[in-house]
Amino acid sequence: MMRAERTPRLPRDNARVLGGIVRGKRTTLRVPTEADLTGFARWAADLRVRGALTRAYWDEPAMLATWKERLAKQSEDKSSTLWAIDGEGALAGSCRVEYAIEPGHFGNDGIGITHFTIEPDRWGQGLGSDAALALHRWIFDIVHARFAHTALAAHNAGALRVAERLGYETYARGTAVHYGDGRYVDGLQLRMDLTTWDERWGATEREYPVPLGEELEA
Amino acid sequence: MLGPRIEGERGIALITPTLDHLKRNVEWMTRPETTRFWGVRAMDLRPEHAEKRFGENATDPTLVNWTIAFEGEQVGMTGLFHIDWITRDAESGIFIGRHDLYGKGIASEAIRLRTRFAWDELRLRRIHNWIAMRNRGSRRANEKAGYRQMGRFPRSWYRSGQWHDEWLGEILNPDWV
Repeated sequence: MMRAERTPRLPRDNARVLGGIVRGKRTTLRVPTEADLTGFARWAADLRVRGALTRAYWDEPAMLATWKERLAKQSEDKSSTLWAIDGEGALAGSCRVEYAIEPGHFGNDGIGITHFTIEPDRWGQGLGSDAALALHRWIFDIVHARFAHTALAAHNAGALRVAERLGYETYARGTAVHYGDGRYVDGLQLRMDLTTWDERWGATEREYPVPLGEELEA
Repeated sequence: MLGPRIEGERGIALITPTLDHLKRNVEWMTRPETTRFWGVRAMDLRPEHAEKRFGENATDPTLVNWTIAFEGEQVGMTGLFHIDWITRDAESGIFIGRHDLYGKGIASEAIRLRTRFAWDELRLRRIHNWIAMRNRGSRRANEKAGYRQMGRFPRSWYRSGQWHDEWLGEILNPDWV
């Protein structure tokens, strides 16, 4: 009797956990390094960032040694991806997404944006919009996710503007979900579908503006 | 954490879970009759995984788990999960493994007991959950306890050749000050 050969183990984990380069017009999403951690730590402890009330920052305030441990753990986490965001030559933010890796798990083929931070001293310069657009090109044009989803506190007008411009719609409003600055704030859950991406951004935001490989034929 | 015994009405009680309860729940979760509104019935079914999970449930301070008993017999489980002790918010879930007992109001009573415990003992402020839109029985049981719809997630999961929406519910502690 012949023995069936074992199926070779497929390399499934290709560097998804720390994100590779995604270029925007003014920002670049890139692999985070230890050199970025002082920035990440500073934002996590900044009350302007924490005022978003949802977890706009990657994690809770901590010593640098803890941030190093978190980066090491993140690099092994196969259900999420973390990027640093460069804006015009300097570290300008970070973002992180999560996705299901089990069959049938809620959100399968959807990607959740869990953290999105821009250096507060550089707010209002359009870096968040540009980086968010690049991130969604990764989500829809590269991964081809069926939808993206995120949660925002209802008072976070800046983030809501960016989300609505991208094409997000609110599908749930939770009552008094967050507390900060002496009052409760409702929590919004938002979702954007692949079809919306294609309709709104498909003509201008493809990673390769010509059919893939065509530029190599010339 | 494992929840304490709470006596309800009509022979229904929430009782402290045991490892055997968890193993029976996992076995029920492999059946299509009990998981038609969630789950693909593919999971780690090894006994050692159940033991690990039971240990984690027993020590995790962000959840409270109960076994649901009807007339002295285990019929399912319920719990509060992802408890945020700062915002005092949690997610709730329930599973009736004995599908021959559907429609007897067991889930309604279990949700009532669980919600009362959340307000009166844990001093939570808000509970939220996700339920398949088509799962009318579960939605009704939650609404009877006071949950109200806060949203609807379209095309959340795929089953039997169709996309299914999900109902998002919440309930606020009426006595929160």
